[in-house]
Amino acid sequence: MLSQVSSWRGEQYLDTGWVPPAFTLLLCIWVLLNIRRAGTGKDLFIRRIAGLNAIDEAVGRATEMGKPVLMVPGLSDTVNAIVVQALNIFSYVARIAARFSNPILVCCYSAPIFTVGQEVIRDVYNEEGLGDKFDPDSVRFISDRQFAFAAGVSGILLREKAAATFFMGEFYAESLIFAETANSIGAIQIASSTESTQTPFFIAACDYVLIGDEFYAASAYLTRQPVLVGSLVGQDWCKLTVALTVLIGVLANTIQLGPGSHKMITQEKRDAKFVNVEGGPRPITPDDTFMSQLFRKQSDPELVIERPIDPTFVPPADGGGE
Amino acid sequence: MSQLFLQAQPQLNFWNGLNGTTGLWIKILIGLALGVGLIFALMSAPTQTRRPIVAFVTFISGLFYVLYFFFPRPIDRQPGELPLDFVESVSFYIDDAFGVVTDFTAILSGLLLGLGIYSLLHVHVKRIIKAHQNWFFSVVLLVSMFMMTIVGYWDWITRRGEAGASLDDPANWSAINYTKDLMFDGLLQAMDAAMFSIIAFYILSAAYRAFRVRSVEATILLATALIVILSLMGAVEFLWNGMIDGMTGKDPGSVVNNLKLTEISKWLRDTVQGAAIRGIDFGVGIGALAMGLRLWLSLERGTGGGN
Repeated sequence: MLSQVSSWRGEQYLDTGWVPPAFTLLLCIWVLLNIRRAGTGKDLFIRRIAGLNAIDEAVGRATEMGKPVLMVPGLSDTVNAIVVQALNIFSYVARIAARFSNPILVCCYSAPIFTVGQEVIRDVYNEEGLGDKFDPDSVRFISDRQFAFAAGVSGILLREKAAATFFMGEFYAESLIFAETANSIGAIQIASSTESTQTPFFIAACDYVLIGDEFYAASAYLTRQPVLVGSLVGQDWCKLTVALTVLIGVLANTIQLGPGSHKMITQEKRDAKFVNVEGGPRPITPDDTFMSQLFRKQSDPELVIERPIDPTFVPPADGGGE
Repeated sequence: MSQLFLQAQPQLNFWNGLNGTTGLWIKILIGLALGVGLIFALMSAPTQTRRPIVAFVTFISGLFYVLYFFFPRPIDRQPGELPLDFVESVSFYIDDAFGVVTDFTAILSGLLLGLGIYSLLHVHVKRIIKAHQNWFFSVVLLVSMFMMTIVGYWDWITRRGEAGASLDDPANWSAINYTKDLMFDGLLQAMDAAMFSIIAFYILSAAYRAFRVRSVEATILLATALIVILSLMGAVEFLWNGMIDGMTGKDPGSVVNNLKLTEISKWLRDTVQGAAIRGIDFGVGIGALAMGLRLWLSLERGTGGGN
């Protein structure tokens, strides 16, 4: 009954459900706090990232060879944070290429990425005062089928003999096809995948790899804009918070489970309530620990809210155009 | 206002209508005209005017998802129920509007697909007209694209309604169904599979380069990879684990059991690799969160190193 549970509780906040949103909120506060700190003129340090230092070298090499620079902003279906970050890095690459009048090629997996990508690269050329040198066909939509896209990009790599390649964003099974094809034509490769399963493939096949959150550090590293540097420091605070939580979890579980995991429990949490263990005490398991239960919300099937029914309500009929 | 978004009761939704009715087509045309008009108005506006509008729309759009995540969601909501208080009214509204808001993305992607196809046509028609090297492949691509579009839609039309149910049995197929099957399952899917299978060879060549003993790190990588590979080879695993069993007399409590190939491999994957991947995933997740915040609050300006 609602009298027992306030509507302010919300479905997601029942039991220990409030923990993940509260944790997310804390991480957001860290980021915003550091963006504000950086805005006040604090000098914040960023360590050296080899993959980003190599961008100038890669574009310079392509210019010397008179070959294009090829970029792929991943296989995202739509324009999300990953694609925006990839395009941020590519706009930096395109700017250097534009200054050297070096041709570029951006291969897009989806139509929204193609549209945004084309505008971003066009803006870069316009800002450099080289709008007339921008070739709209340098940003291409290839295909939105994974392996058709892989075949298309590989074909372009082999035909155009790109001297430098940048693979950044969401990559899946096709990552190695790109990297090995580019390697076979001797291109210098800088890559990064937000999919941790693909990072080893890039490490094996590419010259430089941005691992994990180095990908998101790129904008701050390349531009040193206070907002971006502050955000990066905020990310470090978030990582420290996560590491601290993991450490507390390890200690708490070690104490609670005990050496050899031979402790016995008489009560267990079931359907968001503590009940006596059926059939007497049993050995404690990792699922019974405080930390495990803190981050895993349980639902209460007995919780039913009685609400008035709308008298005008008609169940949706088949064939509706909604 | 709620009738523009209410999805729980589609019959009350202004934009809803029965398939094929004139009313629904008029609503679709109104929606399309409104959308195109807005886009052109935005395009013709000066940058100084456009920037705050884009920032405002981004903030409102992002705010919706923030509210959806943080605002208390209705507990045990059933169809046709009325909210009990103000909090529930808001939560019901957010709940109903979620489907509509997410549909915006799909509609926008659908509109932009046209631009993608235009890009393909522009690149490949130019190659054909100028008779570039390998121009014939452009002809193949364009013919394939149009053939697949026409045949795909034709096949889809034949499969609609009651008559379409009979097409579950290939005995009732017409020429168009066979053509679509040949083009999609027979050619496209097979070519996808062929591209996928190439990865096996690329893994081999990449592994050869990665596992060369050049440094301490590469040697550790080689050793761990060798253990994992051997643990997956049935005969080797059988012989090695059998030898350990022989030493321990199959005593499950013996510490020597930890030297079994499967145990070492499991430890490497669960403890070493699993922990490293989780660390990377945390970094990526936090990076995406920070990026999302910057985009939502329009703190992310042009970052290509420009002035």
